[in-house]
Amino acid sequence: MRKLTHVCVRAALALQLALGSGLAAWAVEAPPVDGPAAQALKKDAVCTGCHDENDNKAVLSIYQTRHGVKADARTPACQSCHGDSFKHVAGGKPGTNGGKGNASRPAPDIVFKATTAGNPATGADVQAGTCATCHQGGKRVHWDGSQHQARGVACSSCHAVHVKSDPVMSRSTQQEACFACHKTERAQTHRVSTHPLAAGKMACSDCHNPHGTTGPKLLVRNSVNETCTSCHAEKRGPFLWEHAPVADDCTTCHTPHGSTNAPLLKARPPMLCQQCHSGDHGAQINSGANLAGGNVTTVNGLNPLANAAARAQLAGRACLNCHVLVHGSNHPAGSKFQR
Amino acid sequence: MRVSTQQQALRVRAQVRVRVRPSVQAVQAAVLAISLTVPLAALAQDAAVDALAMPSSSFELGVGYTDKASAKAHEYDGLKRSGSYLIGDFDIRGGGRYDSNDTNRWRIWGRGLGTDNRAIGFEQSMQGTARFGVSYEEFQRNRSDSYQTPLLGAGTNRLTLPSTWIVPVVPRLSTTAANARGLSTDVTASNALVSGVSTAPTAAQLTQAAAMQGADLPLFQNVNIGTKRTRLDFNAQVNLGPRWDVTANVRHEDRTGTKLMGTVTRFTGGDTSTIIPDLIDQSHEQFTAGLNYTGQDLVLQTHYYLSALTNNVSGMTWGNWATAGSANNLQTMSSAPSNALHQLGLNGSYRFTSSTRLAVNMTYGRNTQNDSFLTDSTTVVVPVASLNGLVINKAASLKLTSRPISGLMVSASAKYDSRDNKTPVNIYGFYDAGEARGAAASVFTAAFPTANLGSNANLNANRAYSRKLTQVNLDADYSFAPGQLVRAGFEKSKTDRWCNGSWIACVDANTADESTVRGEFQFTALDSITGRLGVAHSSRTVDYNENAFLALVPMANMSPTGAPLVGSVGSTAYSTMLAMGVTGYGPVSGLNPLPVAGGAAAFFFANNNALANALYANQNRISELPGMRRYNMADRTRDKLRSSLSWQTTDALSVQVSLDLNRDNYSHSVYGLQNAKGWTTSMDANYAASENFSVGLYATFEDQRSSSAGNTYTANSTAANVGGFTAISGGCFATIALRNASNKVDPCLDWQTDNRDRVSTFGVALTRKSLAGGKLDLTGGLTLSDARTSNNTAGGNYANNPLAVTGAAAGTTAAFYILATPLPDITTRTTELRLGARWKLDDARSLRVGYLYQQMRSSDWGYDGLQFGGLAGVLPTLEQAPRYTVQTVGLSFIYSFR
Repeated sequence: MRKLTHVCVRAALALQLALGSGLAAWAVEAPPVDGPAAQALKKDAVCTGCHDENDNKAVLSIYQTRHGVKADARTPACQSCHGDSFKHVAGGKPGTNGGKGNASRPAPDIVFKATTAGNPATGADVQAGTCATCHQGGKRVHWDGSQHQARGVACSSCHAVHVKSDPVMSRSTQQEACFACHKTERAQTHRVSTHPLAAGKMACSDCHNPHGTTGPKLLVRNSVNETCTSCHAEKRGPFLWEHAPVADDCTTCHTPHGSTNAPLLKARPPMLCQQCHSGDHGAQINSGANLAGGNVTTVNGLNPLANAAARAQLAGRACLNCHVLVHGSNHPAGSKFQR
Repeated sequence: MRVSTQQQALRVRAQVRVRVRPSVQAVQAAVLAISLTVPLAALAQDAAVDALAMPSSSFELGVGYTDKASAKAHEYDGLKRSGSYLIGDFDIRGGGRYDSNDTNRWRIWGRGLGTDNRAIGFEQSMQGTARFGVSYEEFQRNRSDSYQTPLLGAGTNRLTLPSTWIVPVVPRLSTTAANARGLSTDVTASNALVSGVSTAPTAAQLTQAAAMQGADLPLFQNVNIGTKRTRLDFNAQVNLGPRWDVTANVRHEDRTGTKLMGTVTRFTGGDTSTIIPDLIDQSHEQFTAGLNYTGQDLVLQTHYYLSALTNNVSGMTWGNWATAGSANNLQTMSSAPSNALHQLGLNGSYRFTSSTRLAVNMTYGRNTQNDSFLTDSTTVVVPVASLNGLVINKAASLKLTSRPISGLMVSASAKYDSRDNKTPVNIYGFYDAGEARGAAASVFTAAFPTANLGSNANLNANRAYSRKLTQVNLDADYSFAPGQLVRAGFEKSKTDRWCNGSWIACVDANTADESTVRGEFQFTALDSITGRLGVAHSSRTVDYNENAFLALVPMANMSPTGAPLVGSVGSTAYSTMLAMGVTGYGPVSGLNPLPVAGGAAAFFFANNNALANALYANQNRISELPGMRRYNMADRTRDKLRSSLSWQTTDALSVQVSLDLNRDNYSHSVYGLQNAKGWTTSMDANYAASENFSVGLYATFEDQRSSSAGNTYTANSTAANVGGFTAISGGCFATIALRNASNKVDPCLDWQTDNRDRVSTFGVALTRKSLAGGKLDLTGGLTLSDARTSNNTAGGNYANNPLAVTGAAAGTTAAFYILATPLPDITTRTTELRLGARWKLDDARSLRVGYLYQQMRSSDWGYDGLQFGGLAGVLPTLEQAPRYTVQTVGLSFIYSFR
């Protein structure tokens, strides 16, 4: 095992070297005594003197993240987010908890996640304002007035900054944050027809921008169709023969988070199709009597007819056994979506 | 108390010395020294402190084993077959220490390396200056492992039947007419009613069936169906200064494989369907470039976005199983055309004051498509070689938000979003589903003299669907006490729809207006209970046009100047309708339901009814009943209720419950979707005793229903009897003649179908860390899902009695009215159990073991007809409803280092 370890580490380091990063970065060196990093760490030390990896909640992993790149002058200090918290630093009443007064220590100025009843979280808007000090651009332009802002969702409701990798930024773990509130969608992803969320090949944020958008349902693009066709571009067209609801809104027929009717349909064909088509084939009734062995195929249930088949619309792909190009056809003979 | 940096370092050093085993340091130091000739003296300085300051890395290597190759169980997880596979993940990070003056950071990562879902990437950043990343990813989707077909060439776009293929028939019914049910010995060997007599197959018929089955059945071969996406991504951001940056994202994606697709072929006696493996071979290029400004109050973002799809498959060709000599009976259908979208965008916000902000967004897009048309003998009028399709997408929005006083927030927004389809409109002529030209000439021959149109030709103009949404929103919420908030909102939207270049009204509703009012109350009680209750009511009104379906009807939507006059009647079905003041096709209570001789004046437009086929001239009626309203454009009221309650009972235990209700009512829709309603409730309980121990439970139940209505309208029969018998058993009329007289208004032909989905989902998750002296972490999760889809239909339809033949006993029933019966429930039960354990050998090294149990049981009548003996006109595929029990185990070694 140790040999394997050595090989892997050696390979990793060799790769890093090959990519041209400075070896000096890996060589052990003493912390600089001046410069932006040293200055920033001095400020942090006010907090990290007590709050470290042995604290109730390990916090120093923040230095593994972009918030820990102290050489970048924009990188926040602890106080940038939590406030100067002078009262907290000064401590509580002496004589408690080993004489440090921790039990009665006032909370920091800004608390992002409540740890105890005595340390409630600061209001979501204050939290968001603190984060927006730096993060007001990017995907957050439409945060004000958005669904999440209006419902008091704080940045820290979803994000964790004191860990090496924020789970909500990873495809495989992001859904856990979203499903903490969106419980119906959580259940829907366990249905027979779903998008590949559980496999980590897709994330909620592939379609939604939780920080606010101008699209419906916080979709990342202007409309449902524009969002869907960013992956399903073959359904964008324009086609010679368009199917009106397809050009209108994909969710007329589909439900995106999971369905009992594949592929992600709101209802099962042919019944789904009959919700809009009442003539010709669409006029026909589809019930158990029209299945193989049903009362129509056996004529009132009296006479077994081995030559009688079920309605084709009640098997396989139903109406799509023939009218398959429902998203549109580009064939001159395709106006009925058959070519 | 303030602590100096040096003191801090000492503190950390002391802590880390306790944790990091000397062996780990030794390994790192040795490897470093050997491989990179780093002076050991440097490492010896103080590895413990540096370890915390350095970017941390890890890799995981192991082996997994899955015992079954189920396409559904492994639909998305990248495993295609049973057996062992490599577990390979790594995340190696490097660059400057956090306490250095170096902003350089880099990362190389890989996931799922031993599966078909592998991904690998590299990222580098000089924080504050620039960053870029590149990644490669694969994504396998397994679609079916039970599909079978006799077609050769799966994986190409040309599918042929073997030369030994014999057209399946049921010899007892016809020795020549194609009938896929003949592939079942149960069908060909059993008695059947033929002309009212239970008839056993003759020896000759059995011989023919056996020969056919002997030739065809061995030709059915399994074909695994699946698609794979491979992506190459590149992204970069360069800061041009403290306020400006440019970004670029490039994605190249290939999608290859097969997916199943129905196809239709016309042959003498009807249509047949063949479900074929459709070849997928597409490339999708996406490129986004942006220039961004982020100031103190002003944020501006501009972008250019390109999405270009190239489909390398122009169409699919397949052999017609219902016609002898498949090599000469190949059918072709088109694949999705290549297309492109170019978009320019401007996005930004401006903060007027600390409490007031305006956000804007504008985009302009051009969506084009100009693939060459596929043509063949069925496409008899093709005025252009390609579509030259163009859609202009424009969107703009403004949102003003303000907090004028403490606790109050108001927002007002306006939105515009349009899809303007400027695709040229032309008339195209074709025969359906590969049909040959009819012998007689079309009545439209004069309009298209060079096309040599047969009587079965369809003529139709394409429809350039366009829409425009305008919407305004006003919202306000007021927090009158900590944790107490009320919210009210109003939304007004208008959706206009039209078709450019169309003389006929092609959209069901030109305008849809919708107003929504909503309110919400959020509260906190006893410091440990929070709740929310929200309601919304919407009302949509439309100017529904029940004639718009005619835009879909061949002949009816042609320009009047392109069609001939027939007698004194209008030149097209549509103009005839207009002349008669008729609103649609189908039964209208109170009006004459009888066909009118001469074909000129009446209100039904079926092949054998008032409008002569010479005018209507299409063999497949595409029509709608008066009262039919497509639900996406119909008048609608919508009500929603959302509620939730959270109770933090103790620091460790929290409970949440929620209840959502929804109801849509399409009040003016006589036919089509009538209503949809449902409710969902969830309960969550989470117990987190510490960072090391937590249990979560949840249960969700959802019940959704919809109800729609129709009418089994058919053309009048001119026969007043069946085999000389007239009585109908059941139904609304006693005799066939009476029924014929009232066919269009027969209330017994009305039907209503109720669909219902009930799904229960239950989950439990357990995490227990730091067992065995901090060495063992355990995780577990169980998810159960039980889904039931029900369909209950009321109504019925008529079926002639096959015993009503000449010579049958007096009083024989001519026809039965057969009541609808419920469809069998479709059920899907899913169980998923995940167990995991991680044993820490030391701070750097761990062993991980995982176990996954997956089970699905599904019953679905939709698959019944795909078996041998199922449907007469659909070639069996033998696909099965998902059903699997799969177990997967994995053992891996994890190494973390800095």
